[in-house]
Amino acid sequence: MRPERESCLVEVLDRLLNRGVVLNADLIISVAGVPLIGLNLRAALASMETMLNYGMMESWDKSARDWHALHGNARPLEDGETLVFKAFGYLWQEQGIVSCCLPGTWYLTDKRLFLWRSEKAVFEVPLQSICLLNDAPSLERSEMELVHSGGSARIRLPQLEAFRDKLEEALKSARALKA
Amino acid sequence: MGAARYLYSVASTGMAEKLGNIGIEEKPVYTVPYRDIAAVIHSCEPRPYETDDERLAEEWILEHAYVIDQATIRFGTVLPVSFDVILRGDDLAVKDWLSRNYIRLRQELERVKGKSEYSVQIFYDYDKMASRVLRDNPDLEGLKSRLEKEPKGKAYLLQRSLDMKLQDLVSSETSRLADRFCSEIRQLTEDLKVEDRRTWRDERFRGKKLLASYSCLISRDNVERLGEALEDIDRLQGLFVRFTGPWSPFSFVSLEA
Repeated sequence: MRPERESCLVEVLDRLLNRGVVLNADLIISVAGVPLIGLNLRAALASMETMLNYGMMESWDKSARDWHALHGNARPLEDGETLVFKAFGYLWQEQGIVSCCLPGTWYLTDKRLFLWRSEKAVFEVPLQSICLLNDAPSLERSEMELVHSGGSARIRLPQLEAFRDKLEEALKSARALKA
Repeated sequence: MGAARYLYSVASTGMAEKLGNIGIEEKPVYTVPYRDIAAVIHSCEPRPYETDDERLAEEWILEHAYVIDQATIRFGTVLPVSFDVILRGDDLAVKDWLSRNYIRLRQELERVKGKSEYSVQIFYDYDKMASRVLRDNPDLEGLKSRLEKEPKGKAYLLQRSLDMKLQDLVSSETSRLADRFCSEIRQLTEDLKVEDRRTWRDERFRGKKLLASYSCLISRDNVERLGEALEDIDRLQGLFVRFTGPWSPFSFVSLEA
């Protein structure tokens, strides 16, 4: 059997967009403090990835999923956790004088909000610890500030409005549950 | 000269070379060396490639992939850089980046030297697998023949329980096979990653279920042996193998430098 390379466009796209060497955030270009790594483009193709993910769930039967749960790479969601929203985006962090920007996939579940990158959650906050959502005028249009019990974080993602709606909804039900 | 540099790959060469106008939108591509490694780049404005036009995006990405292939032909296996990674600054900034990450980049280049990435998927046909499992399980076979003699209502219930038992048996059979294939294939690779996302579409395997998916880092001498092993799997009844490559080692250079 010989390997082939024809008709593998989706495979090429996945490799170029989701794999390979990337630069440390402080080196990539940014305009007025807002990091840009082809945000729109990645987002457009990230939705394709989501689509393909769903395709996978249809055609993979339970055994294959179990097997991969056992042998496969780390999975972002925990048992009993429900996914509410998922999108490609960034976390903008300011630590002292250093500010940096982490690209990744934002996951909003019924329990927490986290940024998934390189098979781990690089930022995570339980819904109960989120106090406030801000969109101060100084922030970019597709950016918002999240104040939580441990500090604050700036979140940037192209589908911010949809994300914000979902987050507010999730916060409401998390609070209702607590009360 | 632009105020930023678009990165395609990092290669094993100490030479400053021009690769021609082969870059994204026919930009001239060249190497910026530091000691015995070099970044393959083009000069650009400090803003990313962005578009809503999916076809244009695909074109850019294919152009990027083409440069990686050309660099691989010229310099041997390279470290492929993700799409749209742009370094602020001029050639000196590139050199500075290389020098600060020299040891890690050099190590990674050593690790992938003479190797390529291949992608393997194994599919199965549920019905074929089910009939094989049925043959190996005489109790179920018996249950099936009893079905025909029973009245409708009872036959329906029996059929359902038969289907469920069969599903379980197919499940454990596919898990067993996946385990076996994984260890067989792993022996022929330098490194193997189990993939849990579908990153391809292929009409030929429509209606088939996926048993396993791997990215493999393989030295060139082993590709033929892997091909033979996969051929053996492909020959098994109800199993189908998709084998693609060679790719630049995208799945094995997750480093951030």
